[in-house]
Amino acid sequence: MDQRQHGMILEIDRLTTRYGALTALHAVSVHVAPGELVALVGPNGAGKTTLLSSTVGLLEPAEGTVRFEGRDITGFDPAANVAAGLALVPERRRIFKDLTVAENLRLAGTTVAKSQRKQRMDEMAELFPALRTKWDLSAGFLSGGQAQQLAVARALMSSPKVLLLDEPCLGLAPTMVDVIFALLDQLRSQGRTIVVVEQQAQRVLSIADRGYVMRTGEIVAEGSGPELAGRSDLFDTYIGGS
Amino acid sequence: MTAPAAPVADPAVRHLTGAMSRSQMRSVALPSLVANWVLLAALFAVGVLYASGGSSARDLLISDLLINLVLVLGFHIFIGNTGVLSFGHLGIASVAAYTMALLAVPSERKIVLIPNAPWGIPEIELSPLVASLIGVGVGVVVAALLGFVAARTSGLAATMITLAFLAIVRQVAENRKDLTGGAQNLSSVPRLDGWSWPLLGAFLAVMIAVFFRSSKTGRLAVATREDELAAGAMGIEVFTPRLVAFVVSGGLVAFGGILRVQSLGSIGPSQFSFEFTILILAMLVVGGMRTVTGAIAGTVFITVGKEVTRYLGDGPDLLGISLPVVDGLPDLFLAGSLLAVLLTRPNGLLGEFDVGSWLTRRFRRPQRAAESSDGPDEALDVDTVLAVPAVPAVPAVSGTGAASESGALTTAGLGVVFGGFTAVDDVSITVAPGRIHGLIGPNGAGKTTFVNLLTGLVEPTTGTVHIGDKELRGAPYKRARDGVSRTFQNLRIFPSLSVRENVAVADLIAHDHRSHRSAVSVDDLLALSGLSHMADRTASTLDYGNQRRLEIARAAALRPDFLLLDEPTSGMSSSESLEMVDHVRRVASAIGAGVLVIDHDLGFITNICEHVTVLDQGAILAEGTAEEIQRDQRVIDAYLGSGHG
Amino acid sequence: MTQFVQNLIDGLGNGSTYALLAVGVSMLFGVMHLVNFAHGELLTISAYVIYGMRSNDISWWATIPVAILSAVMLSMLIEFVAFRRVRTASAFTLLLTSFAIEILSHAAWRIGVSSTPRRYTAPDIAFKVVEVGPFNIEVWDVVSIGVAVACFVGTAIMLRTTMFGLSIRAASEDFDAARLMGVKANRVISGAFAFAGLLAGIAAALWLVRRGQADPRMGAEPLLKAVIAAIIGGLGSLPGAVVGGLALGVAEVYFRSWLPSDLQGLTDSFVFVLIAVLFVVRPQGLFDVQSAERV
Repeated sequence: MDQRQHGMILEIDRLTTRYGALTALHAVSVHVAPGELVALVGPNGAGKTTLLSSTVGLLEPAEGTVRFEGRDITGFDPAANVAAGLALVPERRRIFKDLTVAENLRLAGTTVAKSQRKQRMDEMAELFPALRTKWDLSAGFLSGGQAQQLAVARALMSSPKVLLLDEPCLGLAPTMVDVIFALLDQLRSQGRTIVVVEQQAQRVLSIADRGYVMRTGEIVAEGSGPELAGRSDLFDTYIGGS
Repeated sequence: MTAPAAPVADPAVRHLTGAMSRSQMRSVALPSLVANWVLLAALFAVGVLYASGGSSARDLLISDLLINLVLVLGFHIFIGNTGVLSFGHLGIASVAAYTMALLAVPSERKIVLIPNAPWGIPEIELSPLVASLIGVGVGVVVAALLGFVAARTSGLAATMITLAFLAIVRQVAENRKDLTGGAQNLSSVPRLDGWSWPLLGAFLAVMIAVFFRSSKTGRLAVATREDELAAGAMGIEVFTPRLVAFVVSGGLVAFGGILRVQSLGSIGPSQFSFEFTILILAMLVVGGMRTVTGAIAGTVFITVGKEVTRYLGDGPDLLGISLPVVDGLPDLFLAGSLLAVLLTRPNGLLGEFDVGSWLTRRFRRPQRAAESSDGPDEALDVDTVLAVPAVPAVPAVSGTGAASESGALTTAGLGVVFGGFTAVDDVSITVAPGRIHGLIGPNGAGKTTFVNLLTGLVEPTTGTVHIGDKELRGAPYKRARDGVSRTFQNLRIFPSLSVRENVAVADLIAHDHRSHRSAVSVDDLLALSGLSHMADRTASTLDYGNQRRLEIARAAALRPDFLLLDEPTSGMSSSESLEMVDHVRRVASAIGAGVLVIDHDLGFITNICEHVTVLDQGAILAEGTAEEIQRDQRVIDAYLGSGHG
Repeated sequence: MTQFVQNLIDGLGNGSTYALLAVGVSMLFGVMHLVNFAHGELLTISAYVIYGMRSNDISWWATIPVAILSAVMLSMLIEFVAFRRVRTASAFTLLLTSFAIEILSHAAWRIGVSSTPRRYTAPDIAFKVVEVGPFNIEVWDVVSIGVAVACFVGTAIMLRTTMFGLSIRAASEDFDAARLMGVKANRVISGAFAFAGLLAGIAAALWLVRRGQADPRMGAEPLLKAVIAAIIGGLGSLPGAVVGGLALGVAEVYFRSWLPSDLQGLTDSFVFVLIAVLFVVRPQGLFDVQSAERV
């Protein structure tokens, strides 16, 4: 166990988060090595979003620790984590509809030096040609797929070492899902570490290095991606079939 | 399933069930009344002692305190019970007091002071008592008008409107010199000396406040304060309780204003100022705006504090040191304590504490004294540690288990489009009476939106909802009264009410609007849910599983034809989910309702639902029994994704 | 006709003060979901600073910037001491807290200085009237309108082009999402209070140059009008606040000139009634700013 923890870029250790009377996360432990793509699957209400939010600092955990690059960042403000290289693409994207695409990106570059910001924005325009055509358009006019791309582009502005994505394919048409998965591949080939929560469990597990299955605030299964994807009882594990 | 009994329960039983819950309330109201009266009498006695040792200024202080208490309780009846901030009450008091003054000031004075007053006012001279009664009457009418507007609008708008009202009343009083004497005080108002009327007024105010709180309207108002959305889902209409609360509080404030003016012997616009409003609000909030005891405590605290700071500010010699004269120290104390309480203890120094309930709890079950409802360490409670509800044998209550004769719950082509996005697309389902039907689907499939469409929280773009032949339409509270009751994905109980009261308010509505259905008493529902031994605890102190069961018990108390449960096992372990299966079955059969359950936990769904509909991307993907659904490849694909890209 | 135009300018001049305050109120609401009734106290501190400096014969050119600065500092202080603590409190608590601060400030000035008004002499320009054709125009009205317009343009530029402005707009729409972008919560809120304080300080200067006195409760009435203006325009909408403030200023002047003399003192009442009707008919204000509730 200790050997595995060496060299982990992200270590979540026995994290517990509560909402009032509800314990949404119950001593959850997740380890991520640099360059890995780790999938987090499970039904709604399992606590996946709570886990990501607690990791990035949007929620304050009641117990447990989060270590990023060996440093304890438990309960740190998200702004500090973004500056250090840990970014979250939130569930349902949460782009700023009153701002233009360009402004969304510019704001996301707030932790980056001004000189670099322009350059990054150009890089995003390269990476996401669909956004380039809507550059000065209010983000409220984007389609679901474009909005998701913007959400990812925003997170990339701070050039994160670890990128957390919460259900990036939610509500997207199949062709857009393909685009998102291609994007994940691309990001991974850039050497980034990725933790992705995804509804499309089979698909994401088949491309992941490792995966965790969550239910009701706990990890109920973990293993390598293909191994989990191949499990015949995955659906039952996932959904709690008796 | 128990054998169905007669669909309409024996009227005697129905009456008894309803009356029982009402007499329970009496048993809460009377102790509270007596306890608060005793508290008031004790404080008054202390005050008398204090006053006897000094000048008449002290006497004035005591009567001021009592009159302020009347005003504070008036504010409490509306603000404390509805949670809506009103600044306009002293405007009502002003109108009432001016009415009284203009009628009661002796003619010969009026001819001198306001000779040009309209409507023959200078000639009229009524006795102070009659004039006061008329004044209160006018106050009530004004409160009804202002309350009508305030109750219709949302929180902030209501506050602003009442604030504007206060300003308008003051402006009119200052400017209509002919009528009111203008900014100068109108003197020679018949005087009230001594404490008798203020004391009587204070006792009366306590009584009105206590009885209002335990009245049906009061309880409904409090439910809307706790959670407006959940209250609507339980059939509670927000407007009427708020309006009634406003009118009752307006009447009491009118009375207080009249007392005040009569104790001063003169009336002027500056007596009903914004600053005075803040003073009364501070007294209300500092003690705790939700209870009568809090109002009393706050009034005493602020009054005593102001006196002490006034004394200190006059530059007395204290312990040989001569203190400097500081003008305005009492105001500093007032604002300072208000701010301190808001920043640290927003529910007031006393919070939810009421002397009556506390005494009742102490003496009714002395062995339970250790389990006080505000104990934070409920983890030490054996029951919650084991998390096993003590389930008694299902009581044989007459009139239970009757499947409603209502007909099936059907939706026909129900759908809604938000912007360009079709959240729910042409969904038609049927839930047979007394049956348990499941609705599942991956995240974002539109399940909760569907429930919101059913219950009226969201307006559909297409389609209709029926129970049998009757179409369900209108606001959520109407649909709840028509037979559809629900629980919420995010759990919406009434947090500061007791467990019993959570269920009892729904029962109140059912008693009025669903009397044609057989009733399961509040106590039986609590027993069924394993909550009997916690019935007096504050709902927010319950552990999660019990809160979920409470929400279901509350929804059941509405005597619905159909129960809509939105993710009832969310956040529960497998064993807890299994218990929930039993629990939902028990409750549903006890009240004879059909059930539509939304959940992700297929174990739960398989065990409890006879028939399942699967939604994906807003439309129906598949239908069938739970086993069929579990093996349906389309369903598996929808949840897990269609394999490798 | 001449009266009409003169009233219009007079109304816009007054309305400029309301609009500057209203923009601050709306901005704070957007970021914190708080209607800040303590905002008026920034006017009061500016007034006392002006009084203090002018009684020591310090020139207006020095006095005004210091007065504006004092408004900014007080605004930030209030946020730090009071509102930071109650950021997650209920709307009721937030509202009452802002009133409590207002009253505390009244008491503090009463004790610290005096409850009697402190006077200072207005500069000559304050009451200068020029003849432009058939119109008699008060110079200061024109100055007020000009300064206010400059401020609105400046605010718009700030919001559109600076990172800070971007943060405010984003935070108003979705505070947590802004934090996920790397925006520091405390900074954006303090900044919003500072900027709102700046606008309030400028509004104070425009108003106080003519007013001639400082007293403890002076901030309450203009603030109430500013809040009403912000609500008319739709809380959270800055263009709405400008329109609301100017409209209110103009409405006041017109009511005053149309009402018969014996009803003059009731100007405010008529305006309030008009506004109450507006609330009932269109509670979300003129410019609707969306907000959603998750069930």
